[in-house]
Amino acid sequence: MAAAVAAVGALTEVIRVSRAQTMMQLEKELKSASEVLKDYSDALSVASGCDLFTRFVLRASGDYPNFDECKKKLIAKGQEYVKISETSRNKIGSLAAAFIRDGMTVLIHGYSRVVMAVLARAVNDGKRFSVYVTEARPKVDDTTTGSASAAKLQEMGVPVTLVLDSAVAYIMDHIDLVFVGAEGIVENGGIINKVGTYQVSIIAKACGKPFYVAAESFKFMRLYPLNQKDIGKMTKDSKRSTDDMWSQKREIASEEEHNKIKMESPSQDYTPPRYINLLFTELGVLTPAAVSDELIKLHY
Amino acid sequence: MASKDGISSVLSDPRTQAFISALKRRQIKGSWHVARETIEILRLAIGKKTRLATLGELITFVKQVGCALVEVQPLEFAIGNIVRRVLFIIRDEHRQATRGDEKKEGMYSFMLGPSTGEQHLEEPLANNGRDLKEAIFSSLKELLELLENVHSIIADSAFEFIHSNEVIMTFGGSKTVETFLKTAGSKRRFDVVVAEGLPSTKGQALALALSQAKIDTTLVPDSAIFAMMARINKVVVGTHAVMANGGLIAPAGTHLVAMAAKHHSVPFVVCTPMYKMCPLFANDQETYNDMTSPSTVLPFEEVDSLDKVRVQNPAFDYIPAELVSLYITDDGGHNPSYIYRLLSRYYNPADYSLE
Repeated sequence: MAAAVAAVGALTEVIRVSRAQTMMQLEKELKSASEVLKDYSDALSVASGCDLFTRFVLRASGDYPNFDECKKKLIAKGQEYVKISETSRNKIGSLAAAFIRDGMTVLIHGYSRVVMAVLARAVNDGKRFSVYVTEARPKVDDTTTGSASAAKLQEMGVPVTLVLDSAVAYIMDHIDLVFVGAEGIVENGGIINKVGTYQVSIIAKACGKPFYVAAESFKFMRLYPLNQKDIGKMTKDSKRSTDDMWSQKREIASEEEHNKIKMESPSQDYTPPRYINLLFTELGVLTPAAVSDELIKLHY
Repeated sequence: MASKDGISSVLSDPRTQAFISALKRRQIKGSWHVARETIEILRLAIGKKTRLATLGELITFVKQVGCALVEVQPLEFAIGNIVRRVLFIIRDEHRQATRGDEKKEGMYSFMLGPSTGEQHLEEPLANNGRDLKEAIFSSLKELLELLENVHSIIADSAFEFIHSNEVIMTFGGSKTVETFLKTAGSKRRFDVVVAEGLPSTKGQALALALSQAKIDTTLVPDSAIFAMMARINKVVVGTHAVMANGGLIAPAGTHLVAMAAKHHSVPFVVCTPMYKMCPLFANDQETYNDMTSPSTVLPFEEVDSLDKVRVQNPAFDYIPAELVSLYITDDGGHNPSYIYRLLSRYYNPADYSLE
């Protein structure tokens, strides 16, 4: 289960056990519960999932003036959402797999569960294609790197090649299309994802290759970044990610020397919408411009 | 099954038969005729349904008829689009009749997937569906009337886009563009450069038609497109279909016109009726294309001496949305990035796929 869906499940549970008598009280309880969840996980999607659900609760309160009825409705919808979400990756898979045809070479960046669902679906549909996968360093944990994708694709029987992040431009010639996941989808249709996504998108654009994003709609967030700095607050610079650089630096300098070398290792970057061709969500296939439309539906 | 019988009686109807065989032989000239025939056949099909228990039954039935027609010639996108539009009308009429609540669908669709109004599908229809059918028929009649005038509706905006002494380039021959330019020509003086658009001879026919309408017209070979582009103020072309991402499926050769226009920063304007807007996505030249008979490229009489030559004659080009400046439709002028929004105004997302 995706962390964000679990978070929505948890908030639904908060509503169920809540003794709040008014909407205001309930809202307050949900907000503090969201804070706890957001603190616990630094996944962006947990934050966006919590925000979406809180927003949903506020909207519903307008539709159902009777508090008890409203509470019942919210619990039902929350549970229904958790149930439906299990199928959303499949749904995205079936929408996106149609874009993969026989003989194509697909580039993916690192590891994304949604992207893997898309590729699995294409394999199931009997498509024969090969995949290039970037390492997507730094290695924050074992499940987020390209080698995890490579292993899984190997298992699925898809010809797969692991390449350095710095080799993306070199291999772009052979690539027919690029698929990436997203940790967050922002208001203007851009995405926040594992660092390196931005440069892959720029190279894809320069070479005229389509760049597609596959992600669930709970990753939609109300954020309008204009540059990389604007997402700085959202993404924590992980110590683990500098560890990955550290090991290499050890070779060139003494302990004392390399303490002087400054290191920077952001874990995520922001890809502006102009580099994205389409986004595949369980709401349908969206152009980046359509993302703000979906968000407007939600907030107004 | 009763519904299956309904379909075969629609498909065996002489009018449908004639349409299907014309489609198979590619004898129908242009999407407009395809669109009109599709409406007529759907009207006939709905008329044959004497007893309608539920809305769901009618929608499934129309989808089945639509699917059968689409399968005959999947690249005639107008068929599928009209079917979707008729389905939209059906849903709309039903909603109006039942005053169905539409309140705040947005939020709920976000949490729980797009709402299709499925909850109404199984409700029994009043009066065996006769009232609903009547409402649908009157809407279909309006749709047909709109279709009759669609070219002139698009042409109404010609004066906003074509000014005196401009030089306009067009490619091949499109009925929509012809009406558009003629309308502009009724009041303004401007030059038109028509690229032939070989192997079709439509460009030549268009050049003739325009010059007969007293518009200064120059016919140029396709190889002169780039050379001419430096002198052009605007490119105005028609298309075969508009894709959901704002890209085009247009007669082969249109891509090179679009590229040349981009190179010279010349606005590339596409005139298209709404029934050419597809909720489908294309991403490259192969997604939707048709390899047509090579005989128009290399006549059969010459083949004897050239039997080792491979001749390819693709019907279409895919033109990415970035190369299009503006769409002029019967619903006004729109940016390519806005097409997705238009689609949701004309079709229900549940009908994007007709299966």
